Amino acid sequence: MTLTFPYRFALVICGEEGNNLGTVVAKRDWEPAHEWTRFFHQRKGELALGGDGSASVLPLWEHTLGEPYCRGYRIQIVQPGRRPVASDFPITHFRDFAGAVASVFVGQKKLREGETYTYMVVAHPAQAEASAAGGLSVTNVSPGLPVQDASLDDFLRRGQPSGVIDADDMPVFVHRQVLDEAAALTRAHEGIEVGGILIGKLWRDVDANEIFVEITAQIAAEYTLGTNVKLTFTAQTWAAADAALRLRNKGEVPVGYHHAHPVKTWCKGKECTPEKQKNCHLAKDFFSADDEAVMRAAFPRAYSIAIVANDTAFADLTFSMFGNQEGLTQPRGFYVLEEKTSGA
Amino acid sequence: MGKAETTLEIPLEISDVSGQKVFSVANAPTGNTVGELVHEMLGKMNLPRNDASGAPLTYQARLEREGRHLHASERIGDALERGDKLTLQPNIDAGQGCC
Repeated sequence: MTLTFPYRFALVICGEEGNNLGTVVAKRDWEPAHEWTRFFHQRKGELALGGDGSASVLPLWEHTLGEPYCRGYRIQIVQPGRRPVASDFPITHFRDFAGAVASVFVGQKKLREGETYTYMVVAHPAQAEASAAGGLSVTNVSPGLPVQDASLDDFLRRGQPSGVIDADDMPVFVHRQVLDEAAALTRAHEGIEVGGILIGKLWRDVDANEIFVEITAQIAAEYTLGTNVKLTFTAQTWAAADAALRLRNKGEVPVGYHHAHPVKTWCKGKECTPEKQKNCHLAKDFFSADDEAVMRAAFPRAYSIAIVANDTAFADLTFSMFGNQEGLTQPRGFYVLEEKTSGA
Repeated sequence: MGKAETTLEIPLEISDVSGQKVFSVANAPTGNTVGELVHEMLGKMNLPRNDASGAPLTYQARLEREGRHLHASERIGDALERGDKLTLQPNIDAGQGCC
């Protein structure tokens, strides 16, 4: 599972006239792209469900300029006895870091406020690092994907699509009662962010070469601290959810979380006009950096998803779903199962 | 499985909230604190140390055998036994971006 870095990536920031303002070692969280790569190839049956293989981050050289300039990066997983698998990612994955560097450069007066800048990504072979003496000796003993076999067609026949379904996304099926319970929780605490833990099952359809998720239930998050703008999940929250999951004893696993966005309360506080509220980017498919941080810390696997209950003043409660799409958290569609969950 | 006060190191098993990331530790030093163990394991398990704003995240280690969260200041040799299972659980905010 550990990622290795045979190359060191850096960003070259240039000003409006193409002048080189500086080069900075690239810092980014590679884990979501690594997880996505691993899960994508597990879905397609190209990577063992229990085997992680040895993964490395490699540069994709820019076609015209060549080495050391990159057009993106590749995560390659080498597995014993099988051919390696890999996924490629675009240079835009460095955009947020480039923005952060540009802000620093503005502070250092290297870049003017509002000045357009560009960035290039370069990579150079990394020096072998001497392993630190001492320290903990750890072994990754993570379980394989907890999948059971089922027919995807059977689920698709019963599911009603909600939102934009991308054929490349892992299919997700949510029982109606999960959404109903999330809605009831949201309405019972109007104006306050509340949430819960989503639990369910991972299914594999060997014939369709696909793995998909069924969200069977939600466990209302306890021991949280909710205000109108944030929801704090505490260590006690996770412990209580884990205890509830064990008590259910239905072979379910945590697959993500849901929480409310009390948009109408936010808009009321800002005294936004009804027209402005309808066009507000927070009203639908909004997932904040903090929301992403919860996913990263608690639900890092690429099959994990998040649901946001959008509570606006101008429409009934709606739901948005988010998941790992090619290494980035993106809004996505899902299917609703109307029947009662069996939990079997 | 007795208390490990007389040994210098003990094996442990540590997982994340999802239970899908599990690492065995062969040599947790009994003289170290739980906080030091958690700090080192975050790096080994590639769990985030900071929230979206860059502020440090607080993780608590939950000891499955006793069903309690350990204090960061507790010493491994005092609180833990060989083969104990810990779960690292963060205090973390979901929240609004900005209007």
